[in-house]
Amino acid sequence: MVEQRSGRPVSASQQPTGTDKAGMAKKQYFRRKKMCRFCMEKVDDISYKEVRMLNAFITERGKIVPRRLSGVCAPHQKRLAQAIKQARSIALLPFSPEI
Amino acid sequence: MRIYEELFIVRPDASEEESEAFVEQIRQVIVQGGGAVDKVDKWGLRKLAYRIDRRDEGFYILIQFSCPPGAVKELERRLRVSDLVLKFLTVRIDEKLKRLEKRKKQREKRARRKPAPAAAAAPGHPVAEEMIAPAVPGQPDKE
Repeated sequence: MVEQRSGRPVSASQQPTGTDKAGMAKKQYFRRKKMCRFCMEKVDDISYKEVRMLNAFITERGKIVPRRLSGVCAPHQKRLAQAIKQARSIALLPFSPEI
Repeated sequence: MRIYEELFIVRPDASEEESEAFVEQIRQVIVQGGGAVDKVDKWGLRKLAYRIDRRDEGFYILIQFSCPPGAVKELERRLRVSDLVLKFLTVRIDEKLKRLEKRKKQREKRARRKPAPAAAAAPGHPVAEEMIAPAVPGQPDKE
């Protein structure tokens, strides 16, 4: 995955943050608008059984990716979080990475 | 009657017969509670995301069943007591199924509505042609 600097995963669409600390906002933020993946693919149900799909929404530390990073819409994030928590409880997903 | 989904992990060192017998036992518990088993799905041996009782693997079994609300309690008690089961998860899915059904219906409705204007447009085309058609042969007639 993308390398982490501040401990927070940086999604590919967010990378070109043209912040030159030298000042002068020459480069503008160029950020593609993120769309909710579940809305686009018209996914009806987010189930705890789809481990591979859920895996895309947890970080290396096993945390749920916040929707400001993943771009998932609020209703879907709610269901997604629920599914991830259920999957964790039945050992399909880790609570934390194994050492 | 509610529809539930029960996913539980059986100890990996349990024999095939043991797990088979256990599933049968659970089926009886559900039937005695006034329900019925719809589906039994064995996922097989899977690696656990974390260790449970010093075990790294487990045999996942998924059961879908319908029963009155009270019967689940007894079922969960059984699962908790059994030494075969490492962990279990009960999820109520009837409302989810209802929602899915509703979504599906909506989608079909929309799909039906969409071809309808398209079909209306299709006959509309010949109508437009008819309006032009008499005009075109009409001209040579006059001449």
